[in-house]
Amino acid sequence: MLTVNNLNSGYGKLQVLYDLNINVPEKELTVVVGPNGAGKTTLLCSIMNIANVFSGEVLFDGEPLAGVVTHRLAQKGISYVPQMGNVFAELTVLDNLHMAGYMLSKSEVKDKSEQMTEIFPVLKDFIHRLAGTLSGGERRMLAIAMGLMKNPKLMLLDELSTDLAPIIAEKVMMEVSRMRDDLGITILMVEQMAKRALEIGDTAYLLVSGEVRYSGQADDLLHEPELCSMYLGIKQSSKINGGFELSVSDEGSENS
Amino acid sequence: MAPWLSSGLIYASGLALTAGSITLLYIVTRTFNFAVASMATIGFYVVYTGVTLFGGLPYQYYPFAIIIGSITGIICYYGLNRRLLNRKAAEITLMMSTLGYDLVLLSLIQMYADYLTYTFKLFPRRVTMSLFDFEIFGERAAAFILPLIAIAFLTILHFFLTKTKFGISMRATIENPTLAGTSGINSDRVYLVSWVISGGMAALGGSFMAMAMTGTPVMGMYTIPLMFAGAILGGLGNIYGGILGGMVIGLTEYAGVYILAKNFGPWILGYRMGIPLFIMAATLLIFPRGLSGIPLGKIIKKRFGQKRGANV
Repeated sequence: MLTVNNLNSGYGKLQVLYDLNINVPEKELTVVVGPNGAGKTTLLCSIMNIANVFSGEVLFDGEPLAGVVTHRLAQKGISYVPQMGNVFAELTVLDNLHMAGYMLSKSEVKDKSEQMTEIFPVLKDFIHRLAGTLSGGERRMLAIAMGLMKNPKLMLLDELSTDLAPIIAEKVMMEVSRMRDDLGITILMVEQMAKRALEIGDTAYLLVSGEVRYSGQADDLLHEPELCSMYLGIKQSSKINGGFELSVSDEGSENS
Repeated sequence: MAPWLSSGLIYASGLALTAGSITLLYIVTRTFNFAVASMATIGFYVVYTGVTLFGGLPYQYYPFAIIIGSITGIICYYGLNRRLLNRKAAEITLMMSTLGYDLVLLSLIQMYADYLTYTFKLFPRRVTMSLFDFEIFGERAAAFILPLIAIAFLTILHFFLTKTKFGISMRATIENPTLAGTSGINSDRVYLVSWVISGGMAALGGSFMAMAMTGTPVMGMYTIPLMFAGAILGGLGNIYGGILGGMVIGLTEYAGVYILAKNFGPWILGYRMGIPLFIMAATLLIFPRGLSGIPLGKIIKKRFGQKRGANV
C-alpha cells in the first residue's frame, strides 16, 4: 500500500534519512523501531510532506505523494497521529473529533463521533472538556480516535506509548492491534516501546542513524540478539530452541 | 455625556477593531500587518466618498468599507503574504512586506484624494466626518451607534469562531497548523479568510476613528502606533485581548488628555499620544503577557470563594 524508495530527507538543509526503502503491505502492522535520533519521526514527516524530501519517492497505492500538500494527503486516506501536539488542547474533545472528521459530511461526523465514544468509552465522560485538561493516556486515546475519524486506509502512528504509564501504554498497544485485526486498517507505527511493538507487528524495520539496519518479520527481529541489545535495549537471558528468551530491561525508555 | 467620553467611545471602538485586526492576523499568519494603517484610511475614504457623492449617513456605507477593506486584505495575501508563508519566511520579512504594501496603498490613497479634489471639487485632505452625523438626546449619534456596531461585529465574530465548522477550524489552525493540515483542514483557506476578516475590521475601524478625529490620507500612519499599542496591550495571543487593549488605549487617551489638560493646561495636548503608550508600558510591567494574560477567572473564583467562606 505504501512504498518508500531511496528516500533522502531532513529538515532545512540537514539530511536525516539516507536511501531509505520501506514497504508497508495492506492490512498489516508495520513497525519501525530504533534508538533516539534514528530518524523514525522524520520518516513519517517525510511521508506527510512536513519534512523536506531531497530525493527518492513515496508511493501510496502506486501514486507518488511528492508535492501533495498535507491536507490533501488526509483526503487520500492517510491519517497521521503525531507524537507531540496530537490534539487541539484549546478545543473540547467533541470539537477535536469534529475537526478530525473535517472532510466528512455533518451526518458522518455525528455517526463517527458516536462510534469513537463507543470504541473509547473514556472519551464519553469528557466529551465537553477541553482536550488540554485530559491526562496523557486520555489524550493518546483521543489522538487515536481522531486518527480513526477520517476513515483512513493508512494510519501513521508516532510513538504512541511515550510518557505513558506501562499499563496505559499496553492498553494503547492493544487498541492499535485491534485497529488492524478488527477494522482492517493498514498501520505504519514508529515506536520506542520496541519489544511490545515487535510482538504485535507483522513487518519490522530497524532504523539507525537514518539508515535501515534490519528489515523482515517483526518476530524475527526479536531473535537478533546483537541488534536488540545494541539498539533497542532488549537483552536476552538464555537460549531456547536456538532462539533467545528475552528478558526486557528498561525497554521502551532509553535505548543506548 | 462628557465630551471626552463621547469622542473617546467612538475613537476607542475604532481602535479596538484595528487592534483586533492586527492580533487576528498575527496569531494566524505570524504577520505584523503594517498595512492596517492604510486599510483603516481606505475605510474612511470609502465612507467619505459615499456621503459626499451619494448622500445619506456615514453608517450606511460601513458595509462597503468592510468589503473594500477585505479586498485589500485578499490582494495582500495573494500578492505577498501567501508566497512568503509558502517559503517559510521569517517574521521580520513578513512584517516588512506589509510595510511595503502599506506604502503602495498610501500612494494610491494620495492619488485618490487628488482625484476627488480635481474631479469633484471636494476637500478630502482634511475631513471632519462628524459633520455628517446626527444627534440623539443631544449627543452625537456615533457615540451610541459605533460602540453598538463594534459589539455586534465582535459578537458575530465570536459566534463564527466558536460555533461554525470553519471558525473552529480557524482556531484549530491557529493552535496547531500541522495537526490541522493532517486533519484535512486547508490552512491556505484559513489564512485567506483571516486576511478577509482582518482587512474588513481594519477598514471599519478606520471609518469609526474618522468620526472622532480629522480624516486625512495619513490618518492611518498617525494612529498606527496606538493600533499596535492596543494589540500589544492585549497580549498578541488572543483576539479578544487585542480588542480590549485597543478599547483601553483609545479611552485612556481621551480620558487622560481631558484630566491632564484640566489640571496642567492645554499644552499637554501635544503629548496626547504619550499617555496611552505610558499606560501600555505600565500595564505590561505588571502583566507581561498583556490583558489576555490576566487570570481573571482565577481572581473571580478566589474572590467568590473567599466571600462564601466569610459568610459561612
